[in-house]
Formats: sequence, C-alpha cells, structure tokens
Amino acid sequence: MSAPLNFFHVRKSYRRPGALVPEVVFEDFSLQLAPGELVALVGRSGIGKTTLLHLAAGLDTPDRGAVRIDGQGKPRIGMVFQQPRLLDWLSAADNIRVAIDAAGTDQRRGSEMLAAVGLADYAHAYPLALSGGQRQRVALARAFAIEPAIVLLAEPFSALDELTARRLRLLLQELRQAQAPTGLLVTHSTLEAAFLADRVLVLDGPPARILETIEIDLARPRSPEDPALFAFHRRIIAALKSTEPAEPLALLEKKRDLHAVG
Amino acid sequence: MTVLQEPATTGARPAQRRFDGARSLVAGAIVPPLLFCLLLALGWEIMARRLHSPLVPTVGDVVAALSRIVGSGDAFIQIGITLERIAFGFTVAFVVAIAVGTASGRNKTIRAFFEPALLLGLTVPGLIWALLCVIWFGIGLRTSTTAIALGTAPALIVSIMHGIRSIDTDVIEMAHVFRFSPLARLRYVWLPAILPFLLSGARLGFSHAWKVIVLVEIFGLSDGVGYQLNADFSAQDVASMLAWTVAFGITMAVIEYGLLQNLERYLTRWRKAAKV
Repeated sequence: MSAPLNFFHVRKSYRRPGALVPEVVFEDFSLQLAPGELVALVGRSGIGKTTLLHLAAGLDTPDRGAVRIDGQGKPRIGMVFQQPRLLDWLSAADNIRVAIDAAGTDQRRGSEMLAAVGLADYAHAYPLALSGGQRQRVALARAFAIEPAIVLLAEPFSALDELTARRLRLLLQELRQAQAPTGLLVTHSTLEAAFLADRVLVLDGPPARILETIEIDLARPRSPEDPALFAFHRRIIAALKSTEPAEPLALLEKKRDLHAVG
Repeated sequence: MTVLQEPATTGARPAQRRFDGARSLVAGAIVPPLLFCLLLALGWEIMARRLHSPLVPTVGDVVAALSRIVGSGDAFIQIGITLERIAFGFTVAFVVAIAVGTASGRNKTIRAFFEPALLLGLTVPGLIWALLCVIWFGIGLRTSTTAIALGTAPALIVSIMHGIRSIDTDVIEMAHVFRFSPLARLRYVWLPAILPFLLSGARLGFSHAWKVIVLVEIFGLSDGVGYQLNADFSAQDVASMLAWTVAFGITMAVIEYGLLQNLERYLTRWRKAAKV
C-alpha cells in the first residue's frame, strides 16, 4: 500500500512581492523516502519545509528536477494540515465520505476510521460543533480513510494544546501501526519529530540542505515517556542550535551589554 | 447548610423551551413588522380622511378593491403571469451570472474584461432596458425575459463574484490534495461556499426583476400586474392601483418568508452548530 516518495535534484525558487531576484529555496535537493518510512523535517521557519510538502502534495511544482511517487496507478495522498480544513457544511462522516468518494476506496472505511479516532458518536456532528482536537481527529481519520500510499503531515498538532496534541500523536502512532503509509512530517516540535519519525532531517539554508540526519531506531509502539526518546530529542536540539544565525545572537548580546551599562 | 434542589420535572423542559421559543418568535419577528403595517395603515387612514381626495383613497377603499381583485380571481391570474415572466428572465440571468460571476471571481483578466459591462449594467435604469426591449422585440415573452435578464444579471454577477473570491483557499488546496473531481469540487466546495452570496443575490435580483417587469408590462404587454396598474392609472382608480401593489407585496412577502428564508435556513443549518 505504501509507496516510495522521491525528490530528485529539485530546484524551487520564489519571487517575493517587490523583490528583483527570486529567492532560491531548494537547489539540487534530493531525498528518498522508503515505503512505509516516516521522515520528519525540522528547521528554522521559512527554510522550505512546507514547500517540500507542497511539492509532494502536488500543490506546487519544482522549477527543475522531479518529485516522484512510485506505485501502482496513481498513488493516493492523504494530508493533515495545521488547521483541519474540513468542509463546515458537511458532517464529520460526510467530510470523510467525500474524500473516500474522490479516492474511490471502500466507503465502510469512513465509519471504521471515525470509530478508530474515537468519534463514532459524532458522525453526524458538523465541524463547528466540535472542539479543535475533535476536528483534527476528523482530519486524521479523513487522511487515513482513503488508505493513502503517502501521508503528508503539515504541523498537524501545532494549533492544539499540549495535552490534546500528545493524545493525537499517540493516535497517529496507532493509525500508522494499522496501516503504514510513507510519511513526511513537518514540525516545530522536536519531541514530536523524535516520537513519530523513523528519521529526522535537520534542514539548514537557504537554499535548504540537509544538515544532519538522525535515525530514530526505537521500537514501536513508542512511549512519550521513554528516556531514550529524550536522548534523540537532545541530538535534534543540538543540531538545530547549530543552524541558528550568529548575527542575531551577537546583536542580542550587544543589546544586553548596553542595557547593563545603562 | 445549603441544599441544592433538583428540578421537579425534567420532562417539562423541552415543552417549556418550545413555548419560550415560540413566544420569542412572536415577540421578536412577527409583532414588530405587523405593528409597522398597522401604524402605516392608521397613518394613511388619517391622511385620507383629512385630504378627502379621490386620489388618496381610504384604507377601506383599498381593502374593498383588494377583495374585488382577489375574489374575481384576477389577482391570482395576473400575478401568476407576472411571476412566470420574472421566473423566465431570472433563470436566464442566473445561468449567465453563474458563468460570468464564477469566471470573473477566479480570473483577473476575465474580471477586467467584464468590468465595463457590469458598470453599465448596474447604472442603467430598468426603464431603459424595458423601453429598448419593447422597441427591439415588440410584444412577447422575449421582451420581458431579455429586459429582466439585462436588469438583474449585473447585481447577481457581482454577488457571485464576491462569493467566489471569498472562498477559503485552504479548502481549495485540501480538495486538490484529496483529488476531488470537478463535479465534487462544485458540489461540496464551491456551491456551499457561495450559497449565502447566491441567496442574497437572488433576493436583490428578484426585487430588480419586479421593477423591470412592471415597466415592460406598462409599455409593451397586454396583461400582468404592470398592465393592470397602467389600466387603473388611466382610469384614475388609485384604490385599485394600491390594491394591486399590496397584492404583489403580499406575494413577494410569501416568497421571501415562506420560500427563500426557509430555504436559506435549511441550506445553512450547519452554521447553527457553532451556537450550540
């Protein structure tokens, strides 16, 4: 069911409004995701993590190079966005149903997935009647109900409170146990990256490049309290710190000195 | 010690809520407009009695004329004819507005292309369309349909265009990623999102259509409410003119409150969920 996701020598640039020259986000960027593997991307804001997700989702196209999802037919892509992006005028069940219709998969998966995310009793509820966490659960159910070959996770829990986010990370882990689509996760939570991913890529740039690859070789299912997880977490943090620009820090220190003198 | 008492009967609550709901509906939505109509009738009656002019009939005269046109069945026939003409013209306007409004909402160049036509359409009075169509097409359904379509389409197009431009791009991206078919996008994304704009455009268009059709019927047709108004005007029968106006006003109110508002409530029922 899962499929390999490959980025081959991708170049991507954007021209910001008012800018004379385009800003190169990716230059000759390559990345291979094995079937069933979940790779997390971490790095500073604006480095290009979301651009990479958009390229994989087909929401954007590279200037050069290619993004390939190999598999039989047209592999299905499920995506969980930062906001649930549900259709407010459809019930929770119908939001999943229309995605299943579009994917052409088994309609029974809709109710199964709603039950799997603990929302069987809310099938007929409209999104506006649900809490933020419940809405994101529906979005998770929608992404997995289409039996995706690839699942793209764009900071899926960053808009939720920590307790809800923690529950949903466990839920995501359970869903991936049942079906293991290839996954690409963009997150600012280093602990989330360590908990969910098989491989964490720390990006630096611009243009974006992989500064460090951290393999998370912990058995699944994982526990968020596992001390070994924190060791990986520290490694990710250390790698991220090395991407911090020196100048703003120096400026900050200078400011602090001036303040001390004043 | 404080003793918290349980409510005696929990079963009475839904009935009580229904009663409270009906009471607030009567107090908030029915009484104020009814009061306005009563005050208007009272003010008119006082004015009519003071002026003592055949040009300002009393409320009683208007009610008598209204009873006459309703009793003879004329009101139903003539209003039916006028509504049929409105329906034809409005349907043409709606189809054109959906196509042009959607294209203009999605594409800047198309929007710029249609801008002069919209500006012209919005500023030209319905009277001009009525006159031109009578001159061009003579007497017939083509005249009323074209005049109404020309008079109502611009406002509808603007409304639909705004609706299209207000659609959340996040939802469009979601539909793209999940590979919704064009039909699914139209049914589940575009139409529900522009529905409030469609309904407000329909209201506006309907009121425009009424103004245009009356003129067309006055100038170039031999039946319909506009023709009756013109005939009563020629006979200086102000009471009958007012009776036709009241009859058509009641018809429009039935369409608005009985059809459009209920349709809107049903189609946007998901919004209520936010208030729960």
